[in-house]
Amino acid sequence: MKSQHWLWAASLTAYAFLYVPLAVVVLFSFNDSTLNAQWVGFTTHWYAKLLGDGEMLRAAANSVLIALLSSSIATVLGAMAGLAMHRYRFRFLPVLVLTPVAMPEILLGVSLLLFFRQVLDLTLGFLSILVAHITFSIGFVAVIVRARLAGMDESIFEAARDLGATPWATFRRITLPLIMPALVAGYLMSFTLSIDDFVITFFVAGVGVTTLPLQIYSMIKVAVTPEVNAVSTLLMALTLTLIFVASRFAPDVLKAKA
Amino acid sequence: MSDPRTQPADLTKWVVTLPPTAFLLVFFLTPALIVVAASFGEPGEFGGLAPWPAHSLDAYRFLFGDIIYLEIFARSFLVAVLTTLICIVLAYPLAWLIARSPARRRDLLVLLVMLPFASNFLVRIYAWIMLLGPANLLYTPFAVIAGMVYVHLPFMILPLYANLEKHDPALLEAAQDLGANAWTRFWRVTFPLSLPGVFAGSALVFIPVLGMFAVPELLGGTGDILIGNLIKEQFLENRDWPLGSALAIMLTGAVLGLAGCAAWAARKGLHGTEAIT
Amino acid sequence: MRHLAWLLLAFLSAARAEDVLHLYNWNNYISDDTLARFEARCRCRVKQDYYSDNEEMLAKLEAGAIGYDILVPTGNAVESLIRRKALRDLDKSQLPHLSNLKPEYRRPWFDPENRHAVPYATTVTLIGYNVDRMKALDLPTDTWALIFEPRYLKRIHGKVTVLNSQRELMAAAMKYLGHSVQETDVAKWEQAKGLILRAKPYWATFSNSTYIKDLAIGNIWVAHGYSNDMYRAREDAKSAHRPFTIGFGTPREGAVLAVDNFVLHKSGRRPDLAHRFIDFMLEGPNAADVSNLIGAGNANAAATPHIRPEIAAEEGIFPSPQTLARLEMLRDFEPKMRRALSRMWTEIKVR
Repeated sequence: MKSQHWLWAASLTAYAFLYVPLAVVVLFSFNDSTLNAQWVGFTTHWYAKLLGDGEMLRAAANSVLIALLSSSIATVLGAMAGLAMHRYRFRFLPVLVLTPVAMPEILLGVSLLLFFRQVLDLTLGFLSILVAHITFSIGFVAVIVRARLAGMDESIFEAARDLGATPWATFRRITLPLIMPALVAGYLMSFTLSIDDFVITFFVAGVGVTTLPLQIYSMIKVAVTPEVNAVSTLLMALTLTLIFVASRFAPDVLKAKA
Repeated sequence: MSDPRTQPADLTKWVVTLPPTAFLLVFFLTPALIVVAASFGEPGEFGGLAPWPAHSLDAYRFLFGDIIYLEIFARSFLVAVLTTLICIVLAYPLAWLIARSPARRRDLLVLLVMLPFASNFLVRIYAWIMLLGPANLLYTPFAVIAGMVYVHLPFMILPLYANLEKHDPALLEAAQDLGANAWTRFWRVTFPLSLPGVFAGSALVFIPVLGMFAVPELLGGTGDILIGNLIKEQFLENRDWPLGSALAIMLTGAVLGLAGCAAWAARKGLHGTEAIT
Repeated sequence: MRHLAWLLLAFLSAARAEDVLHLYNWNNYISDDTLARFEARCRCRVKQDYYSDNEEMLAKLEAGAIGYDILVPTGNAVESLIRRKALRDLDKSQLPHLSNLKPEYRRPWFDPENRHAVPYATTVTLIGYNVDRMKALDLPTDTWALIFEPRYLKRIHGKVTVLNSQRELMAAAMKYLGHSVQETDVAKWEQAKGLILRAKPYWATFSNSTYIKDLAIGNIWVAHGYSNDMYRAREDAKSAHRPFTIGFGTPREGAVLAVDNFVLHKSGRRPDLAHRFIDFMLEGPNAADVSNLIGAGNANAAATPHIRPEIAAEEGIFPSPQTLARLEMLRDFEPKMRRALSRMWTEIKVR
């Protein structure tokens, strides 16, 4: 019984550790003071200011748009990669697909910066961020899809072929429905990674295209008013909603990772 | 009987494999090679890189010419190891508790873990700026470790939980019947079985920590610069791209080397257990 | 998928249709009020991105940041930009108020023919401090020794920040040692490096912008930074009723003077708006904003009657002739020297 108590105590400590800092952020988003030093009074003024802050809203719109596009493309390419890794034993494929996942993000950011500027002479902007996000998301989707396929009974595909189905028909009517949970999980994972990405975007972002993390970063360095707290609170509320929706739609999201 | 999977569709094989391969070759492998090339380049007059023919070993000579640069690699690895260990210690009880909970509550508990993860990564750092400032702990090594742990803890909790959830309670019951106490049951049954989860979580923590610059920059003091900060500074402040590239290559080499060692150790471990059975 | 494509198209085209002026500026260098007045007058939008160091701005431009109409570089950065032919020529016919500039700013050394730059504001890089704490600890506030000498730093361990800028910090060290900031003898710079490394353990962190808040809140007691930022910190502390005041002053050994200018980057898409903006800022009352609201020195003669007397009397913002004699402006070095110094800076960060 003692071990039970100890377990609960440890877990509560962990939960407290997770939550207290964020609770402070939420609390101070209602602080009536430009300095985040001490509690002065209650106000919702910062939320009003935030909703009128065009730059913030544009950054948010950029983040969402990039996340939607990059996740879509990454899911398609990643599904192909996962399928290929499972079916065809190319030696190089797992290495190529998984290394971007295994590298610290700063390496990807730096290499893409060099590539875009020195080789392509491309103006950094929306496109460069999009490409960067797709690059690091493909691996995640591929892993999830491959894991899903690994548990599958191959005889279904044999049966389909024996019955005369073309590869495309097999894919559309058998493979696709079977890997759909993995696709959804992969899409959600890519979306989250893209919206939250800071390091890679930091290196490849250009003029006039800020994403939300970059905007918050500059706010932390420059402004540090409760407006930052307000943005943080709203983001938490938004992503909680998304997770809630996702867990209803695809409960395997969390387990698919293992 | 020939394998129906490889039979008809050689075309399918290429249609499926080519797009992702091409994309990654262009946008991952080529840039990586460019970084290698850039590390042998010369800085351009206004920053960036000098036109191609200019090359030198200057960046590497500079880095290997002073032990201090290896020290900063060592320091970054130390921070990564420390962060990983603390994450394991903090995450384990929580993951265990969730795994042992009745199925209905489990989802809620997992969601509660995910929620802080759901906030933006910078927000989580900012939360610590708010907490540590008044406590006079800002700009200290403690702040850097606290920030690193906080930002990466969910990456340790989730794989651990996913693994622990699959454990068969019957094993523990058997151990108990055979007279093992709580600690023994944990250390000799649960922990070894959970090792894949521990390793997965460790990889998800260790590698990002290695390259991170935001946490030391926002929370750290003058002595807490890590390798990520150095790399960033060469590109965005010093205008010394060859030096930054050289540092990046060395970091990549170190990570690949570690991954190789880990894979080798894992294979040896596997053969070890095979020998027993 | 199709809807997504339309959304994307609409988004992109909308961005082009608006009248937007892209301004790449120091943080805290133009007040929201001033911008709002300009936006009302030109019926356009001003979008600002920020940098906190000339090097950061130059590095971002070199990394391919394109599309900024106006930059606000300091003199040495203007020189660098002119050399790499990154600037558009000014069309003086669109700048009728150019004659408002004070005579001493009409032919600056970095742009003697006034072809590219319009001086905007001046700042001094100096020391800001918590007046009450310094008095209680009996520390001198008019010398660089406050941030370089361990015997003083001991008493404020962990309460000092310095600029995260190779040029600025090393220049401060050189000034303290009695050398010129344009010194070409590497040995003297090594001296400065040694001075910095000796003091580094006592400093809390390198900071280019967070020190404003840290000073105002009271987390930090001494900061190496720009005069306008110190002014802002003082005002912030006052308006938040903090139990202390912030002071700032130019050290007696001398300091760096920065003249910041509006320039047109050649990749900007709206030079017409850019010219209107610069001319707007050359008008007396608008130019006065940079002193009254931001706390920076002013290059504009027509602004003088609009500047509040207490600000005009502020030594840190408008240096007296005696102080001016001890101030130096930074100039860019030759590539070899620059590389040697930036390598020294990397070493400072790591050791």
